[in-house]
Amino acid sequence: MKHTLIHLNASPYTSLACKEGLDLALVLATFEQPVDLCLSGAAVAILSDNQQPTPEHGKNLHKLLAGLEFYDIENVYIEKANAQLESNTTWQGVQPLDEVEWQTMFSQYQQVFRF
Amino acid sequence: MQYTLLITGSPYQSKACHSALRFIKAAVSKYPNSIKGVFFYEDAVLVGSQIAQPPRDEINLTKEWQDIAEQQNIPLYLCIAAAVRRGIINENESRRYALEQHTLAKNFQLEGLGTLVDLMNTTHKIIQFR
Repeated sequence: MKHTLIHLNASPYTSLACKEGLDLALVLATFEQPVDLCLSGAAVAILSDNQQPTPEHGKNLHKLLAGLEFYDIENVYIEKANAQLESNTTWQGVQPLDEVEWQTMFSQYQQVFRF
Repeated sequence: MQYTLLITGSPYQSKACHSALRFIKAAVSKYPNSIKGVFFYEDAVLVGSQIAQPPRDEINLTKEWQDIAEQQNIPLYLCIAAAVRRGIINENESRRYALEQHTLAKNFQLEGLGTLVDLMNTTHKIIQFR
């Protein structure tokens, strides 16, 4: 069985990319395929608490994070360099990786899809 | 070695659909059965519209894909959720939403992401074009 990494890099509110990437992760998990997530760039905004997007902004993807464990999606990685994530106003289920760990992570999967 | 292609880039904002087409042509010219299927997701589903009319002196990307699909017997799948939200609708979906028209081009078919998962598990490699 292939181990898949879904890499989210787009802002959750400027396009559908984050949403459709998460949709793919949830479908993979529903089909019992092992899948992990990693976030970089504007996509880390999804982690911030107390988001109140309007319908024009799009769906509140932050709310999906709490449900990931029910899909057995247990690993959500970010780079430690994202300093703002040290605060207690972000979702705490992420695993920060240092630069070397982050770079080696990508070769540990049979397939990586980017959104 | 059999490949599945996952195309996510918009046909209008990127060259993902164009590059994937070139890849397929190169692959099948050497190994005729090397492409198991093509799955279009995100804005790439727009390539499956039968009503888009590119200027006549430009490439007709939809027709190019239809031709290669027919010549090489390669299935072209559009993610149904991504397609329907963007107005790419087959006859079934048209009836479901009580619409008067359908817009899905010939040789393309609407499928769920489960079909992509199945392709992942039955081909050697998936290549994403974005």
